[in-house]
Formats: sequence, structure tokens, C-alpha cells
Amino acid sequence: MGKSTIAELKLLASKLSGKVIQNINSTFVGGGVAEILSRMLPLLGQLGVDARWNIIKGDNDFFKVTKKFHNALHGRLETITANDYAVFQETTRKNIEEMELYGDIIFVHDPQPAGLIARKKELGNKWIWRCHIDVSHPNQEVWDFLQPLVVQYDAAVFSAPAFSPELPLRQFLISPSIDPLSDKNKELSQSTIDSVLTKYGIPKDKPIITQVSRFDYLKDPVGVIQAFELVRKSVDCRLVFAGGTASDDPESDQVLAEVKERANNNTDIHILLIPPGSDVEINALQRASTVIVQKSHREGFGLTVTEALWKAKPVVASAVGGIPLQVKNKFTGLLSYGIEGTAYDIRQLLTNPEYASRLGENGREHVRYNFLITRHIKDYLLLFLSLYHSGDVIYL
Amino acid sequence: MIDWLKDNWLKVVIPLIAFLATTIVGLWFKRFVDKILDRWKVRTKWEGSHLVITMVRRQVLPWFLLLGIVIATQVSELTANTKTLIVKIIGSLFVLFLGWGIIVLSEQLLRLYLLKTKAPQPTTAIVINIVRITLIIVVALILLDIWGAPITPVLLLIAVIVLVAAFIFRNSAPNFFAGFQLSTSQQLKVGDYIKLETGEEGHIIEMGWNNTRLRVLDESVIVIPNSRLTQHKVINYGRPLKKAEEPFRFYVRSQLTELTGLKAKNLQELIEVMRKVPDAVIHYHTHRFLEEHHYLTPEPANDFGIWVSDALGDEALGERLASVNTFEFTNLGTLRERLIGIIEEQLAKRPDSREAMTGREFYFIKSVSVILPTPYAAHDLREFAEILRKISLSSLYFHIFESRLRLGKGLNDFSVWMKDRLDEEQLGEEITRLDPYTYTLEALRLTLIQLIEKRIK
Repeated sequence: MGKSTIAELKLLASKLSGKVIQNINSTFVGGGVAEILSRMLPLLGQLGVDARWNIIKGDNDFFKVTKKFHNALHGRLETITANDYAVFQETTRKNIEEMELYGDIIFVHDPQPAGLIARKKELGNKWIWRCHIDVSHPNQEVWDFLQPLVVQYDAAVFSAPAFSPELPLRQFLISPSIDPLSDKNKELSQSTIDSVLTKYGIPKDKPIITQVSRFDYLKDPVGVIQAFELVRKSVDCRLVFAGGTASDDPESDQVLAEVKERANNNTDIHILLIPPGSDVEINALQRASTVIVQKSHREGFGLTVTEALWKAKPVVASAVGGIPLQVKNKFTGLLSYGIEGTAYDIRQLLTNPEYASRLGENGREHVRYNFLITRHIKDYLLLFLSLYHSGDVIYL
Repeated sequence: MIDWLKDNWLKVVIPLIAFLATTIVGLWFKRFVDKILDRWKVRTKWEGSHLVITMVRRQVLPWFLLLGIVIATQVSELTANTKTLIVKIIGSLFVLFLGWGIIVLSEQLLRLYLLKTKAPQPTTAIVINIVRITLIIVVALILLDIWGAPITPVLLLIAVIVLVAAFIFRNSAPNFFAGFQLSTSQQLKVGDYIKLETGEEGHIIEMGWNNTRLRVLDESVIVIPNSRLTQHKVINYGRPLKKAEEPFRFYVRSQLTELTGLKAKNLQELIEVMRKVPDAVIHYHTHRFLEEHHYLTPEPANDFGIWVSDALGDEALGERLASVNTFEFTNLGTLRERLIGIIEEQLAKRPDSREAMTGREFYFIKSVSVILPTPYAAHDLREFAEILRKISLSSLYFHIFESRLRLGKGLNDFSVWMKDRLDEEQLGEEITRLDPYTYTLEALRLTLIQLIEKRIK
């Protein structure tokens, strides 16, 4: 990060002097929102922005309902009963009564605390709803329930253009980001990378194709194996599928079993169940790869793609969710739509290492300028400032 | 009295003769010395020669008069004590007279030398005072010696004072000597633009005996201890260039991306939405790649061309849209009309029913520009080039692209300032003619710096 970037951030931050930004979500630990806030708030503080963080209160029933909401908004089939809505409304009412809302800007993350907007008229401050979910194809019933709350906000923020529905309020596009200094993204020595490969029994004798993702049908792990088998007909290589299962996802064990069965004891296919928190190991596997694949059917933003691009790896990925924002076809990687297309793109990259290298380098630069945490902070500062100014050109 | 003279006339006449004889010798010696000095004055080219000659000419005759008194005293019949007292008085007068002459001469020579080196006034005054005080101390010590006073305690006192002074000024001394060195070497002068290897840079506005003051690019003033200027590598870019009465103030532009909720899945929908969206949307989709992908060479074209090629599979139309030269347009309205016109021509020739796959529709996005002043202001071309090296690419983008097209000025800000404020018509024209869309932002920055440096060399 250059001096001019820091100077720019300081300049923007100085314009927010005296304003308190109150972030509200449902948990301090676990999940992408908590991770982003825990990294971002100290940096905002260093810039002189008074950004604070509170969470709403809720019991297990409430969080079971919001988990259902989450899945439904992602487009998954969920049965949501009248009682579920009642549980959500009752918990929201308690939070409206009990929660201290002191910020000049109330920055609400995701649907769980969205109902706090009821106090907007009373407080007269600015409210932003940050949607971290892909709501491009939501369960209409759940969306119809939430939309009356969302439209009361001063602005909404989405991670990809396709995620934003037509709403009568200002909507902004702010992509997530990665921290280049975190364990998952920092530089690693060759000896560390080699030791991780040794640990998982992956020889370095052939090019390695890798997909890092949960064992989830939406990540199409079987499709990845099929594409790999097509590639293997002409290019000798290995496949590493590294991921974890989630305790709140009963399907994941079933998906893992299917993937293992489909791999059929092929010694060139490595199915790795990586425990949570193994960030350095994921980092090492990505760095050891020749090509990184993300053949998802649905994707939020796809931070695993961002991580791969940051490591200057050539990427073949599906054009879903936030991936097209990151992979500009033939500039920063290759976009594919099916198993054959994915296999064709992987072959192109394996047989043209210079082309692959150029895409990888472009990808790294693309992330450097657009998807690092500094850009994320800048976007948030601009977002906060935009609440106090109208028009397409704002002079501060 | 007359009787006494009759008896002792020799006691008076002999000393008088001795005094007169010495005076006559003195007059003869002065004429001899004058001739030698006149010949030396003709031969020498040293500017200080007349000062030395004047001083010597003033001194010679008084020396002989004093010598005459001493000789007369010695040949007289005065008591030994009286003789000793007179010799001490004459010796003291001689030391004072000679010391005064040397002090005056040294001051005049130092002034001449320091004036020639264009040393700052404070440095000259300090050097002269130090020399004057040193000589006065030497004269005082000699006088004390003549009168038999003990000088050891005085010498000790002086040594203590010198040590205390050295301790008090231990930090300032290196700066003072560095300042003296800078003054005498004439490597740096007020008005020069300098850059230290430690990063500080700016115009020298004052050179003191201890510090040098620089006006830096954000118009603040920094004070650099002189010792740093002699201990570190300093690049001196030389004398100031023509100053603009009104400096160029650099701004930085940040972009917030606003979603419109509008999308198109085919060409007809595309032009329908293109017609109604604000200019900020057209700006975003024709300039996004410049900022997001400015590391790519060549940079991708506008979003419309890419979407038509990739999502609709119409590479011929995509190529036509991509090849629209944005640089030819001075406002976004005419650019929008040109893009719509190309699509309409295509639809008129061959109605197109191709539609983008779900998820690959064209999403209309608006750029919201937030513009802030930076602390940087350039008064001349050298400062301008140095600031260009420092500013963010967003700042460069604002002055070259955004001002010209989005704010409808028709020209980039740099050219306008150079032409209007510096009368740099040719340079301004060269920058105007430069097609910024064919460079990456870093390459554009470098090209602009090279153009300016070529001009100021």
C-alpha cells in the first residue's frame, strides 16, 4: 500500500470527524461478517474514525429462524412457518426496546438485526443495511417479509450487481476483501509449502489442479472430478479437492461420501478434509497449485477465488455470484459454464504456462487494486460520506 | 630651569637626537616600504591587497615613533625603574596599536571573502565576532604578560568557558560548521529546489547558520538542520523556474459504485436503458477499466463492447462498440449517442433476438465521484513534476479523464493551467494531444513527467 493510498484514506476519514459509526450484527465470532468487522474496525480506528460494534440478542429459536431466512434468501428451499415469523418479530421487538442505538450512522449487517430500523424516525440518524447474501434469486415469501424493513433504510449495500433487487433506495456495490497479511494470504516459504504437501501425501511430480471449498452440492465437487478426468485424457496431472464440512450443514457428510466414491480410489485425486482454522495449510495448497478451479453452481462473492488470484494463480471459475467481478474472462482468468468448458480451460492453462502466468499476474494486480482490505475501507468511508451528500459528483 | 639645562643639556639633547634620528629612519623606512607595497600592488591581483597596504602604511610611522621613545628613554639618565615603566607603557601601546590594526584588517578581509561567497548575513556576523573576540583575548594576554600579571588562571578560565560553550552548543556546532561549509561551497542557494535522500524536498527559502528552511510541495515549511544537508545525499535541481501566480492545486477523486437496479438482456433493452440513465452511468461503463484494470496493456475496452461480444456472442458489433475512441468526445452526451447509434444501425440492418444467459445480463451501474483537495500545490513545472510522482492514480485520473469528459471542461486540467498560468503553450498542447486512453495510468504518469522534464532541462 502506497503512501498516497494512506493519505487518501486519512483525508476521507477526517471528513467523518465527530461521527459515530455503530455496526450491528448477530455475533462477535464466527462467520464472514464478524471476521471482516474484527479486521476492519481497528483499521478504521487508526484512521480516526469512531466505529463501534454491537450485537443483537437472540435465543436458539431466533437463530434457527434466521438460518432458515439465510438459506431461503440464497434460493434454497426452506419451509418457514408462521411461528418462525413470530419468533423473528418477537426477538426483534425485544432488541428494539433494549438495544442502545447511539450511532450517527447505524450500519446493520444482514437480515437478523434488520428490524431495528423501526427506531429510525425516533432517532433521526442515518441507517445502512449491508446485505452479505446473494439475494439474486431469493425465496419470494421471505424477501417479501424483509423488503418492507429494507426500504426504510437510507441505503443498502450489496456485494455484486446481480444481487441487488429493484428497491426504492440508494444501493451501493461494495465487494468484500481479503487481508494480504492474514495466515490465509501471507507469503509462505517453499519449505512450509512442501511440508504441507508431505503432510497430505501429495507428490510434486505432476501439475496440481485445486479447488478449495466446502463439501456442498453448490460447489459442484463431482463436476470438478469429471472435468479433471477429461483433462487427464491429454495432460497428466493431479486433483486436490480441499474443504471442510459444516456442523450446521447435514448435507456435507453425504457430499463428501459421494465425492470419495466418485474419486474411486484414483491416486491422483486427493480429497482432503481440512479442519477449521487451517488457514496456513489452505494457503500452502493454493500456492502449490498449478491451476485453481472454482466450479460452483452458486457463489456469494467467492473469496477463495480472490485468494487464488492474490497468489497469482491462473483460475478457471464459473460465471456465478461475484466471480465475474474478479475473473475478467481472458484477462484475469477464464470463466466457464460447464464441465467440458472447465476441462478445456484447464487444458489451455496447463499446456500454455506463459499464458497461465500472464493471467495469474493480471489476477494478482486486479486483486491488489480492487479486493484488498484498504479498498474495502475506502468504500465504506465513501459510503458513510455519501449519506450526507446527494448528487453524482460530490465535492468535499 | 635654565641653569639646570645649561649644566645638563647633554642629558636632554642626546635622547632628543636619538628620538629624531629614529623618526627620520622611520620616515625613510616608510618611503622604502611604500615603494615595495606600490610595486606589489601593481603585480598582485588579490582583492585584499589594498586593505593590507593601507594597514601597513598606517602602522609603520607610529611604530618608529614608539621605537624612538624607547631608544630615547634608554639613552637618557632616568632611573632604571622609570625606564622600565616607560618601556612597559610603550610596549603596551605598541601591542594595542598593532592589535587594533590586525583586528580591523582581519574583519575587512573576512567581509570581503564572505561577501564573495555570498554567505548569509548571520554567518558573516558570527565569524567576524569569533575572530574579533579571539584577537582581543590574545592582545589582552600579551598586555597582562607585559605587566607581569599571572596569565595561567586567565588561560584556565578561558579554557573552562570554551569547554562550557562547546557543551552547550554541542548540537548546534555541527550545524553551524555545516552552514559555513554550505555557504562557502556555494553548492546550495536560496531559491534552489533540492531533494534529500531521506525524502524531504522543496525550495530553499532561507539559509541560516544553524538551519535551512524549505517550502515543500504541500506549501508547508520544514526546517532542516544544516548538518543533514552535508551528511546526506542532496539532489539540487537548481534555480526556480517561472512561477504561476495561481498554483495548480491537486485534487483526488474517489469512486463509490452505485447500483441502479436496471439491467438489460438484449440489445433493444440495452439501448432503451442507455437512453434514460444519467451520464454517471455512461461514464462508469466507458471508464471502469481504466481504474480497475489499469495494470493491463492494452486495457480492455468499454463494458458495452465486452458484454455484446461475451454475453451476446456478437463479436462484430462488440468490436465496433469497443473501437469507439472515447478521446474524440468532449462530453458524455455525444459519446452516449455514438454508442446507441452503432447499436441502432446494427438493429436496423439485422434485428437481433440474442439474449444473455440468466446472470449474465448487463447491469447498469453508476459512479459517484467524491472529490477532495489534496495538500499538494505546484507553483512551477519542477514542483508539478515532483508532485506527479507522489499523487495517487485517482488524482491523475481526476485531472486527466474526469475533468475533461465528465465535468465537461473539454480539456484536461494540466494543459489548461500550463497554458493559462505559465504561458507554456507548447507543453500544454503536447499534453492535450496525448491520448490518455492508450496508456495505463502508471505509464501516463511517467509520460507526463518525461514531457515536463524535457521542457525544464
